[in-house]
Amino acid sequence: MRDVRIPNDWDRKGLPGWCYHSAELLELEKEELFKTHWQIVCHLGDIPNAGDFQTLDLCNERAIVIRDAKDGVRAFHNTCRHRGSRLVTKDNGTCPNALICPFHGWVYNIDGTLRGAARPDSYPPLDKTEFALLSLEHEVWNGFVFVRFKAGPQPSVAEMMAPFADEASAYQMQNQVPTDGMWTEDSPVNWKSIRDVDNEGYHVAMAHPALQDLYGYAYTDEPYIDGISRSEGKYTPTKGRRWAVRNYKKFSKSQDFLPDEQKQSWIYYGIFPNTVIAMTPETALFYQEFPVSINKSRIRSATYRYKDEDRQQRAARYLASRIDRETVVEDIQLTIWSNEAMASEFFQGFHLSDLEYGVRSHHDHLRAVLPIYNVETKPTEDEVRSLNDSLSRDTSNA
Amino acid sequence: MTEHRADRARLAVDFECQIGPERSGERRYAAAMYFYSCGELSAEMLEIYRRCCNDDSEDPQDLARFEGVFDIRISRFLGRSE
Repeated sequence: MRDVRIPNDWDRKGLPGWCYHSAELLELEKEELFKTHWQIVCHLGDIPNAGDFQTLDLCNERAIVIRDAKDGVRAFHNTCRHRGSRLVTKDNGTCPNALICPFHGWVYNIDGTLRGAARPDSYPPLDKTEFALLSLEHEVWNGFVFVRFKAGPQPSVAEMMAPFADEASAYQMQNQVPTDGMWTEDSPVNWKSIRDVDNEGYHVAMAHPALQDLYGYAYTDEPYIDGISRSEGKYTPTKGRRWAVRNYKKFSKSQDFLPDEQKQSWIYYGIFPNTVIAMTPETALFYQEFPVSINKSRIRSATYRYKDEDRQQRAARYLASRIDRETVVEDIQLTIWSNEAMASEFFQGFHLSDLEYGVRSHHDHLRAVLPIYNVETKPTEDEVRSLNDSLSRDTSNA
Repeated sequence: MTEHRADRARLAVDFECQIGPERSGERRYAAAMYFYSCGELSAEMLEIYRRCCNDDSEDPQDLARFEGVFDIRISRFLGRSE
């Protein structure tokens, strides 16, 4: 049972400002957060047929997820065993019964085994399994394909999401299909500034007039507990003052199979450390952010719909996407303002509202993985890793 | 048809697929690698297919003839006599 109550007396500070512009900390985050925690590559609807693939580049690593001939999903490092070149150079597509390295021409079967090396006469016999593509741990949850580059502290996605299993499965997301492909955009901020903005609804009334018009004060946040947060915005009973919201509320027509309490609400699951899955009556979508450098992040997102939507549902989906687009532009600006605050030597740190407890709960999850976030005074870059190691040892001995 | 025979039949189609369509060179090369691994194609002929992998408009059989590469096994496989 999730205890979502906000404590009476909690530390309202955020992370120290130095954490947002330390190159050495970013390297730790790549190793201990991004490679060791579940990441969404795509949805089953992105790879419907045998040979269809989707790739994901993340923190110097490359993943490929591919549909095999038996309708299964396989995940590999997108790396040739010969010289390490990426095997697949496109973000997505269909491969011709095999994966062919564009560098020298090694060929791999869809199951990852080596079909053969180019100029095989220049090698002694190569074992098909020994030189197979390296598999990636993966899991399909409600149609979303997750990978994890290294073993980490999280249980399976299904186990993490268990408190919401019934709610999520009601949407039948595994049967959805893509709308307009994968969207990516680079933003000039540290990845944590994106999460800091997204993890609270305190700013909605001020910064997101469309969302406020849609669900306003009916919006609630549950903090991160065991790696998962949940937010919900139930439509307010007003007609909506803004054109897109007014018409969205008018046209929004839920799927019959959704329970009544989910027919007029937008629900968001935050999956630690950097992913959100959101459901509306018409769509499901995910978004995630990855660090490119200390001051640059890549936002990646895709939206999925029901195959058999009618014209009204299609119109509602279009209107929802307008509301979403507006919100994303507003949020990107907020992340820039939040991020630049962290570089000021005079800013004294966050003082969070109860309505921002989600930010604190995300930071607490971060601190549990990397105790260096507890260090208020900026260490030298050379000290970051060793200090974190030392604090980790102290924590595990306590 | 067994799974292996079905795969083999699909690869035979790939091996002989039409010259020109996008990524047809990759299909031919990937299939050629399979038939090489089965001992049904020579290393020299496989190399011809590798060279044509990224040029969908290049016919590997034409190139093989041009370069004087001949593999009796491929003729048998394709059901042709050269």
